[in-house]
Amino acid sequence: MRTTKVLIVDDEVEFASTLSERLSLRKYDAKAVYCAEDAFAIARSNPPDVVLLDLKIPGMEGTEIGKIIKQFNPAIQIILLTGESENKIISENLGKDISDYIVKPVEIGELTKKIDNAMKEKEKLDHSKGQP
Amino acid sequence: MRIWKKLMVGFGVYVTLAAIIGIFAYVELRTITKRFTVVEVADDITNIILEVRRFEKNFLLYKDDDTFQEIKKYLAVLTDDTDKIRKEIIKEVGTDNYEMMKNAIAEYDFQINILSKNFKLQKEFISKIGVLTRSIEKNLSGDVLNSFLIVRKYEKNLMIYRDKDIYATLINTLNSPKFATAEVNRYRSLINGLFKLYREEQSSIEKIRSKARNIQTFTEDLSKRERANITTILSRSAILLLFAVLTIIILGTAVNIKIANSIATPLKQLEGITKKIATADFSKRIDVRGKDELASLGTAFNQMQDQLQNTMRFLELANEKLRESRAQLVETEKLATLGRFSAGVAHEINNPLAIINEKAGLMKDYIDMSEDFPNKEKFNVMLNAIFDSVRRCSSITHRILGFARKTDITPEAINLNSLVNEVLKFLEKEILYKSIRLELELSEALPVIKSDKIQLQQVFLNIIKNAADAVEEGGLIRISTGIKNNTTFQVSVEDNGYGIPKEMLKNIFEPFFTTKEKGKGTGLGLSISYGIIKKLGGNILVKSEQNKGTTFTVEIPV
Repeated sequence: MRTTKVLIVDDEVEFASTLSERLSLRKYDAKAVYCAEDAFAIARSNPPDVVLLDLKIPGMEGTEIGKIIKQFNPAIQIILLTGESENKIISENLGKDISDYIVKPVEIGELTKKIDNAMKEKEKLDHSKGQP
Repeated sequence: MRIWKKLMVGFGVYVTLAAIIGIFAYVELRTITKRFTVVEVADDITNIILEVRRFEKNFLLYKDDDTFQEIKKYLAVLTDDTDKIRKEIIKEVGTDNYEMMKNAIAEYDFQINILSKNFKLQKEFISKIGVLTRSIEKNLSGDVLNSFLIVRKYEKNLMIYRDKDIYATLINTLNSPKFATAEVNRYRSLINGLFKLYREEQSSIEKIRSKARNIQTFTEDLSKRERANITTILSRSAILLLFAVLTIIILGTAVNIKIANSIATPLKQLEGITKKIATADFSKRIDVRGKDELASLGTAFNQMQDQLQNTMRFLELANEKLRESRAQLVETEKLATLGRFSAGVAHEINNPLAIINEKAGLMKDYIDMSEDFPNKEKFNVMLNAIFDSVRRCSSITHRILGFARKTDITPEAINLNSLVNEVLKFLEKEILYKSIRLELELSEALPVIKSDKIQLQQVFLNIIKNAADAVEEGGLIRISTGIKNNTTFQVSVEDNGYGIPKEMLKNIFEPFFTTKEKGKGTGLGLSISYGIIKKLGGNILVKSEQNKGTTFTVEIPV
């Protein structure tokens, strides 16, 4: 199993960078960006496998960003980071552009499990795409 | 009776009584007038009788025809007058007496006629006697003549005294043989006739006087009787009139007072009740009696009062409801504002909390990777304390966010019994673990309720979880559902746990208030449940006794 490329998109710099470092320590290829534009740039130049996306980034809804990123590669898995457990936006988008969600503050074990699951899904999609 | 009828009766009583008295007085006056006529006639008759008696004396004295005619004239008047008041007389003295009086008058008339004839005959006889005696005296002489002259003396005495003895002497003398002549025989028969006339005259006069006295007594008596009658009638009338006037005054007044009362009493009652109504006192009703306008007014008034009272009650109720719903609205609004504010705070705290969590996590990552260093174990303990605190904080922020987000109610059909069972499934593990006895008294006849399922779930989860937390191992939780007054659903959760101290009961719905150990409860469960139930228009009641148990009753309007 190759290294999972994780992109963290959150305007809370300290949160995003620290989480990125913690994932890196756990052998993930993690990267943190703090605005939508940077996220799109990375998605274009070095597409990630899994995107951890804050529900609210200044200037844009998390789901909007997710939608745009998915346009680069629909196989990219998006996990929403949210402050509350039950949310209309999540329930409306879950299973469409959003494959999963996790509530802040996050339990690192739970998060890695979700990332791994998303990665499996991504590989499945890549596989079916690579072998038409 | 209608009022105008009553008034007419009151007026009619006076009019009728006055008319009766009037008619009575008129009849009495008429009677008296008639009686007076009778008296007048009776007086007339008496006067006429007196007049007749006067002429009668003259007639007996002068024996003339003029006086006789006068008597006849008055007798005719007497007969007329008697006929005039025939009825009254008959009424007064009876037919027999009237007839007797009539007969008396007739007899008197008859005897006067006889007397008149008698007088004429006497004159005739006397003149014949004069002529005859002159002839006899011429033919006689001597002793015989002297004897005859004595006879003539007897004759004069007889005419003056009309004596029986003189008559006998005269006839005896004439019977002597010396007077045996045809002329003397004629003379004797003339004397006989004359004496016979005298006797007849006497008898007639006696009869006349007797009858006249009869008539006189009769008429005088009649007159006296009539006057007495009039006096009686007058005094009787006076008494009856007095009585009638008193009757008018007493009866008329009594009737009118009764009528006035029958009109005034209901009006007074109406006035009293109206005053009471003016002070919003609806306790009294008009006691409707009879069928007059006042009775219908009373009925209408009572209806109006009922209507008014109903309206007042309705308005009071509506006002009460309005006040309640306004209070509820204010409370809901307060809750919503508090919710938004809390949500804002929770959101703002949650992000730094996430940072703390990550930083501490990174620290732990590095420590885990490091070789042993002094106090490594201490750092681990401290980091775990930080994680615990983060979890505590995040459970608070998540609950606040979870509640605040749900400001809208999404109603759906819910069966409360199924809801309770669903909630119990969430708590299955805990109930088993503590070997809690669960008693369910779920009413089967529970209608479906339209409400927000998720929010209600949250409420019952909170309450039942509290109960499970409150009881010891092997404790009891009894859950019952039911419906009260067809208006309110009731779900009661009863436990036999440690209960809530009395002084804390008033605080249990306040946010962050908890009787659980530190770190075991956020103090938000009941507060949020209370908020939810209030938002749904219901109520949560609590009864608790320390070391005996607690009962929470959730009421939800149908």
